[in-house]
Amino acid sequence: MPKGTTVLSAALDAGIHVPHYCFHPKLSIDGSCRMCLVHVEKAPKLQISCNTAATDGMVVKTDTPAVLEARKGVMELLLVNHPLDCPICDQAGECKLQEFAFQHGRGYGRTEDVRRKAPKRTEIGPRVVFDQERCILCRRCVRFTAEISGTRELAVLNMGDRSFISTYPGQPLDNPYSINTADICPVGALLSTEFHHKLRVWFLNETPGVCTSCSRGCNVNVGGYKDRVWRLTPRRNDAVNDTWMCDHGRLNIDYVNDERRARGAALRTATDGFEELPFALAIRRLADWVAEVKAQHGPQSVAVVASPQLTNEEAFLLRRLVRDVWGTSMLAVPVPMGEGDDFLVRPEKAANGRGFADLDVPGASLDQVLDECTAGRVKLLYVIGSEMLSVAGEARVRRALSGVERVVNHDILPTTISDHASLVIGGCTWAEKSGTYTNFEGRVQAIRAAISPPGGNLTEGEVFARLIASHGGASEHFDADRVLRAIAASVPAYGSVTPEAVQPGGVATGDAAQPAA
Amino acid sequence: MSAAEARVLAPVLPPEVVAAIEAEIPNYPVKKGAMMNSLHHVQKALGWIPRDAMVEVAALLEVRPIEVLEVVTFYPMFRDRPVGRHHLEFCRNLSCALLGSRQLIRHCEKRLGIRSGETTSDGKFSIGEAECLGSCGTAPMLMLEDHFHENLTVEKLDQLLDSLD
Repeated sequence: MPKGTTVLSAALDAGIHVPHYCFHPKLSIDGSCRMCLVHVEKAPKLQISCNTAATDGMVVKTDTPAVLEARKGVMELLLVNHPLDCPICDQAGECKLQEFAFQHGRGYGRTEDVRRKAPKRTEIGPRVVFDQERCILCRRCVRFTAEISGTRELAVLNMGDRSFISTYPGQPLDNPYSINTADICPVGALLSTEFHHKLRVWFLNETPGVCTSCSRGCNVNVGGYKDRVWRLTPRRNDAVNDTWMCDHGRLNIDYVNDERRARGAALRTATDGFEELPFALAIRRLADWVAEVKAQHGPQSVAVVASPQLTNEEAFLLRRLVRDVWGTSMLAVPVPMGEGDDFLVRPEKAANGRGFADLDVPGASLDQVLDECTAGRVKLLYVIGSEMLSVAGEARVRRALSGVERVVNHDILPTTISDHASLVIGGCTWAEKSGTYTNFEGRVQAIRAAISPPGGNLTEGEVFARLIASHGGASEHFDADRVLRAIAASVPAYGSVTPEAVQPGGVATGDAAQPAA
Repeated sequence: MSAAEARVLAPVLPPEVVAAIEAEIPNYPVKKGAMMNSLHHVQKALGWIPRDAMVEVAALLEVRPIEVLEVVTFYPMFRDRPVGRHHLEFCRNLSCALLGSRQLIRHCEKRLGIRSGETTSDGKFSIGEAECLGSCGTAPMLMLEDHFHENLTVEKLDQLLDSLD
């Protein structure tokens, strides 16, 4: 136990439940909620365990009659003015006030006075809504803006029983990490505007995953229900994102639920329409085209542009398919670049650029591939994802595509690329597949399918496996775990990366595996 | 430029108050430490602490305006709205309450035709209530312009009000 460990931290680490509101492992100690009172032997009165240092030989009891009665008293005071509007509160079902009232409360109320009225559903910021009646003044949000985001928008105004959380007039809670305040709010006072009144949380099936909006790979829970992703919330990983994530990554889920998602596969007809065809035939068609083009113009006339949002397992199979089976080095993986910050957000706007590099997948740059297309030397271009549009620009891509006889587009949404495509194959997002991503530091982290893809779409990995099989390779279904074992066996840096090892919080490879200086 | 922006950009702190605040800053390890004394300077000069003054103080102390606002709203001695030329602050804590401060406030309200917390329409008087001002031995009492008026009775209160212009 390191020096300075508090009684509460020691208890929680030992698996002993001590109820608390204001304590948060990533914020400074506040000591304001009084919920974590415990009996410390030889102390004259109960102590708040969050602000009591644990010492050698200390005897602490968390369930004496006095402790249990104190909790009842604290709960009663916290509930004196609580509106108890749980039926319309988003926090219901994951609310510490509900949980602790149930576990530690008196079980009945003794007040007759009218409850305090206060503003409800205040737009405290563009992405956070505030209900002052529900607030228990634990100050977690205030400390978050002071200590984590550093933006200091929030404060407690007034004194005593008149105090409330507020922003300065005209300076709303608006920073790139603002919705974290809703996560750490132990009650329903701060809520995500995006998720407000959308769904009762107990319907969500929360699957551990990884945010794909940049190469940080913040650990998340993917809240799925009825084949939609309803929300992302950060999942604690002290080696990656602590307990936080940025607002952009959290809200960047609309494309998963987009009505226009490509379903199934479709072939362009002579009349420039599209006719649907089964995946098996679409895969057969692509394999035939590749064989034809290779026979007439050589392997380098086949080119591939792949999305850095594909998993390591998919990247590994894609390398085998394109570079070994098809025999072309014309495989580009464009990573969109943008702004980063000095906290979590990275400039690489894709989940797995590092994984593609580690597995030595790219054989050419996007510039090379597009130039060869424009020059008419690429006869068949297989494009997975649409990153090249933002990396090279619409106009340049359009020029390149016009020089190619056959464009095959494997993506989730219609784009300029699908407009030029002879064959369209509907793809899957991260929410619909299992596998691993390698973050910018070399940490390999797992994702798991949270929902089913629209239109029965096959995962990209499954399509690659079937393409390999249709060229005479071993016919086997895509199994991410099996492919990861193959990666571990053939890529030295990934020797320790097994399906079992990546599950809890990822496995460090490369720089991330080096001890911190 | 909109009217609202112009209002915020027009400085409300007199130069001597700015100078006084700047003189306070070196007395503290961090600039924010000068908050309390800075606010006293502002209130002494303006009679209260307007929002625009809070923004200016925040800039001088290199903090966000909300950090000034939380201090101003926390302490009843800091006023975030204007008061009358003569601001009568009645102590309402235990000793004063037992010895009749409530009746004195009622009398004052009746005589001035305003409620506690309000200002007369001519801006001459305002009534406020304070927690213990540390003068329990001479209760009931009120504070007026930093002076204590002690062992009050209705008669003494009337005399005090009559004596103010």
